[in-house]
Amino acid sequence: MIALYLVAALAVFAAIRATLEKNTGRKLPYVNVMNFAIAASIVLLLNHPLSLVAAAAYFVGSTLEANAIASTYAGGERHG
Amino acid sequence: MLGELLSILAAAIITWLLFVTVDIFFRLPEAGGVSGASGVARDIQTAGGDIAGGTMMGNIVCSPDASAGTLLAACGVYVAGIPGGLIAAALVFIGNRICHDPGYAGTTGAVLATFVVYGFTQVGFAATDFIAGIVIAILSIQGLSHVHASRLLARLWRVRQ
Repeated sequence: MIALYLVAALAVFAAIRATLEKNTGRKLPYVNVMNFAIAASIVLLLNHPLSLVAAAAYFVGSTLEANAIASTYAGGERHG
Repeated sequence: MLGELLSILAAAIITWLLFVTVDIFFRLPEAGGVSGASGVARDIQTAGGDIAGGTMMGNIVCSPDASAGTLLAACGVYVAGIPGGLIAAALVFIGNRICHDPGYAGTTGAVLATFVVYGFTQVGFAATDFIAGIVIAILSIQGLSHVHASRLLARLWRVRQ
């Protein structure tokens, strides 16, 4: 039970830090922490095998979005 | 309540060691997998951090790495035991390919974490301790001080080299 409230509090903390950070490149790691915490809270709220799929879908989707934002911000050039 | 908090803290230390070891073994601080990872690294360096540590943090942002693997494996073990953890590893593998990540840090981390988390659930830990633990572990790298975290990762990277 503590685990759920802890990750929810960390999600809020990371969201606030992401909001306060002005630099886009340094904002994304805070958003990353928030995504971890939200994926964790999905599974902690719903103890069901399909929750894993929901958490993975959320996490991979949000990571892809962060990837797209970071790559656009960096100029879109691909290294590999 | 105190016991659960201590378990979560212990799980945070275990998962921190696991994901940092796997990520450094897979050379995440060496180069940005996509240009976005290099962009994040550049901004962390501008703020006074280290480029190698920043590159690893950028790679963590841009694709599911061993820490994401550990999170989803812990979730998998929580909902469905070892098969759940291995399904999580498969989902991380798909996630890596979606994010144009050529590496296997995430998948390896998820498979290792499945057995680590399952092993600890046999000796009194709960899988939920590891779910909260990995969130604390990633907070310590990505969410507290980018400058200090990148320098610490760079120091560990130099040991690996």
